[in-house]
Amino acid sequence: MIWEAVFRLKVWPPYLFPSPWDVSQALAYGFQDKTFLFGTGTSVWRIVVGYSISLVFGISLGMLVGRFKILDETIGSFMGVLQTLPSICWLPLAILWFGLSEWAIQFVVVMGAFLSIAIATDGGIKNIPPLYIRAARSMGIHGIDLYWRVILPAALPSIITGMKLGWSFAWRSLMAGELLFVSAGLGHLLQMGRELNDMAQVVAVMIMILAVGVTVDNSFFGPIQRRLQIRWGTAQASR
Amino acid sequence: MRLSIQGVTKEFETRDGKILALDETSLEIKSGEFVCFVGPSGCGKTTLLNLVAGLETPTRGTILANENAVTGPGHDRVVIFQEAALFPWLNVIQNVEFGLMKRMESKKRHEIARAFLNLVHLTRFEKSYIHELSGGMKSRVALARALALNPSVLLMDEPFAALDAQTRGILHEELQDIFLKTKQTVLFVTHNAREAVRLADRVLVFTARPGKIKAEIRIEKSRPRDLIDPDWPIAYIKKIEVLLREEIEKVLKEEVDREWSLKKTDLLRPAGIDLGSGI
Repeated sequence: MIWEAVFRLKVWPPYLFPSPWDVSQALAYGFQDKTFLFGTGTSVWRIVVGYSISLVFGISLGMLVGRFKILDETIGSFMGVLQTLPSICWLPLAILWFGLSEWAIQFVVVMGAFLSIAIATDGGIKNIPPLYIRAARSMGIHGIDLYWRVILPAALPSIITGMKLGWSFAWRSLMAGELLFVSAGLGHLLQMGRELNDMAQVVAVMIMILAVGVTVDNSFFGPIQRRLQIRWGTAQASR
Repeated sequence: MRLSIQGVTKEFETRDGKILALDETSLEIKSGEFVCFVGPSGCGKTTLLNLVAGLETPTRGTILANENAVTGPGHDRVVIFQEAALFPWLNVIQNVEFGLMKRMESKKRHEIARAFLNLVHLTRFEKSYIHELSGGMKSRVALARALALNPSVLLMDEPFAALDAQTRGILHEELQDIFLKTKQTVLFVTHNAREAVRLADRVLVFTARPGKIKAEIRIEKSRPRDLIDPDWPIAYIKKIEVLLREEIEKVLKEEVDREWSLKKTDLLRPAGIDLGSGI
């Protein structure tokens, strides 16, 4: 409504500020000729691969750093430093290492996501009340069992928070990467819209990018976090 | 399980140097005996409990459990902590099953867990999450979780200290009933003389740091004991409180001396005297 109103006021010319109608036309058209489907599919596939790699690396690195003091003192502090570097800054390096390939963009995605996952996992493990571990040990639980049945579940709320953060970092990194190079994908469609001066398409693609992000947040992280909150009794909002 | 603690010393490394928590302590505990440790805060009673549990290793000396040296934790010696230490990611029955995992198939495990929840009157709450329980219920779940492992020794570290007097009284009765049924050896740490007298066969009073056994008082009262009758424990409680007060005054005097030497002026600040609240 506000959007339509602003459009009608003609504050900006239509080629800079498209109407909702134009944008929905662009969306419909994009789906009709399947460019949007294809673009979304490509981006989602990339994020699935990149994010999965990030999860595996991030959680295992976080667990190692959280567990071994020597790793904490060496890699641990380094992780925080690296995390401050926007992941897209890895792109030039990635292009030199992997060429203009799928691998380069995956590298950027992983660099964007896995550190925040690792940092959250590490933090989660360090914040486990020692009492839980003592209680489990006193019941004769040790080694891998202790990890699997106490340390990991106790750190899970932090790990999920890290995963959520990692997901948004991964999605941003992917879009940045796709904008700058590599064919196909939503970021690329966005760039194409700009080059063709097709503002309606630009906004339509932005809506698509938002939709993917929100969908994953709501259908994946949302329910998991709600379930954890119910179990741990941290769901203040619902009471 | 018979326990033999032989010349056990425990030192802790801290930033201010070494602290001697427990000094050359020797003690024999018969199988099926209920022993309470009382003493001022920081007297090493919890340390001794952790050493028996195998959660800490003695600096010197040995601990034998049925002739075998204790080298680490085991499910034959289970600790019940003051804060119950239940796992919030599991519901009540899963918590009780926790220690049985890997040792039997799930159906058997579930059966045992239910039996022990029944013993502590919590069958109705088996699907509840931990944060939904009251303090007394949490203590009961912790008790059921420990008992489900069928330990030879129950190590209880001020398990009821955080509860209100009424709930504590009820739990004392339940613990006595359970003890009469299972006849497990129990080591029970408390700083509440009343609690110790009501529950124990033998009360050991510890000295202030470094911890040592100062006195041993046998409670000659047959079970089942009337835990509500206020009269019979009085003589014992008095005796223990006199001993405790001596130690607490020693700690206070040391603190005052230290503050003098640090030239502090706020000497009259009330220090934490804690004889444990009444039951």
